[in-house]
Amino acid sequence: MRVTLKCFATLGRFQPENAADFPLKPPETVERLIARLGIPEEEVAVVFVNGVHAPRETLLADGDRVGLFPAVGGG
Amino acid sequence: MTEAEIARAVAALSRPAPEPSPFRCAAGRALEALARKARVHVKGVEIIALRNAVAPERYLRNFAGFSFEDQIRLLESRAALLGLGGLGGLALELLTRSGTGRIRAADGDVFEESNLNRQILSSPESLGQSKAEAAAVRAASLNPACEIEAWRRFVDRESVTAFVQDSQVVIDALGGLPMRLELAEAAAAARIPLVTAAVAGQTGWVAVVAPGAASPAGLMASAKGQSAEIVSGTPAPAVGAAAAIMAGAALDVLRGRRPALWGKMLLFDLADAAFETVLL
Repeated sequence: MRVTLKCFATLGRFQPENAADFPLKPPETVERLIARLGIPEEEVAVVFVNGVHAPRETLLADGDRVGLFPAVGGG
Repeated sequence: MTEAEIARAVAALSRPAPEPSPFRCAAGRALEALARKARVHVKGVEIIALRNAVAPERYLRNFAGFSFEDQIRLLESRAALLGLGGLGGLALELLTRSGTGRIRAADGDVFEESNLNRQILSSPESLGQSKAEAAAVRAASLNPACEIEAWRRFVDRESVTAFVQDSQVVIDALGGLPMRLELAEAAAAARIPLVTAAVAGQTGWVAVVAPGAASPAGLMASAKGQSAEIVSGTPAPAVGAAAAIMAGAALDVLRGRRPALWGKMLLFDLADAAFETVLL
């Protein structure tokens, strides 16, 4: 089971080398994935899975596209 | 002069628009002179011209993406724009040039040197000067049909309701996350669509929030820690990209169309050309 992962902005420093084809450890939720990547939970503002804003307890499935976005407010 | 008299005067000064446009057009200076003679606002003369199938020349390249009806609606429209920095200055530029009828724009800040990398209203000569005043001067110099109501003060919890009042779209072009949630709530309470955007480094987001629906400001407020732009900065290309998409969505709302981003959030990273549109 693999997902495509994209860590935006300041979360980019947590993005693994194999983000385009990242192996899951099922059953794995968004919350557990964030922890496994070493990202402090409070740094993630928006999670989306397959183009939909998703809650942290979302169970990930093979082929999912996961995006993690921090708080961004500049203008 | 009556509307019929103005329409006849417009017809007399009009000429066929360049190929392949199948309508007539009129020069801006001639329309402005007519407005002075008729003692009406330039916007009024432009609307009468468009009603009579004469395009003000300055809008020729707006067609055919815009119809004449769209252009009339835009000239009759009212926008509220909060923030006149990187996002807001560019949004103002695009809305004014497009022919937005009235823009209420607020910023209590003055220009400082670190604004020069991205803020189109700033220049070395304008350091220390009011952003709102610069906006009023710029808008008036770009398009006399656009009425600008510049608020030279920060909009806060107390004044935000008055700020959004009577507008058809609220544009959140604030710098930083403070006040974004309050602005979203004020827009929701007044049942006005909100167009909102922000940038950090090469990354940014743009969203259109239907009245009362979930807003990015709510999501961003849930995250602790500092906002990413404090570390990553706000470089010009990402600010320009976000501002342009934001202005396009606002122009859609103002001419009565549902923007493609309605209820959605576009997240982008120019570093790897990643563009994701997600449902809010």
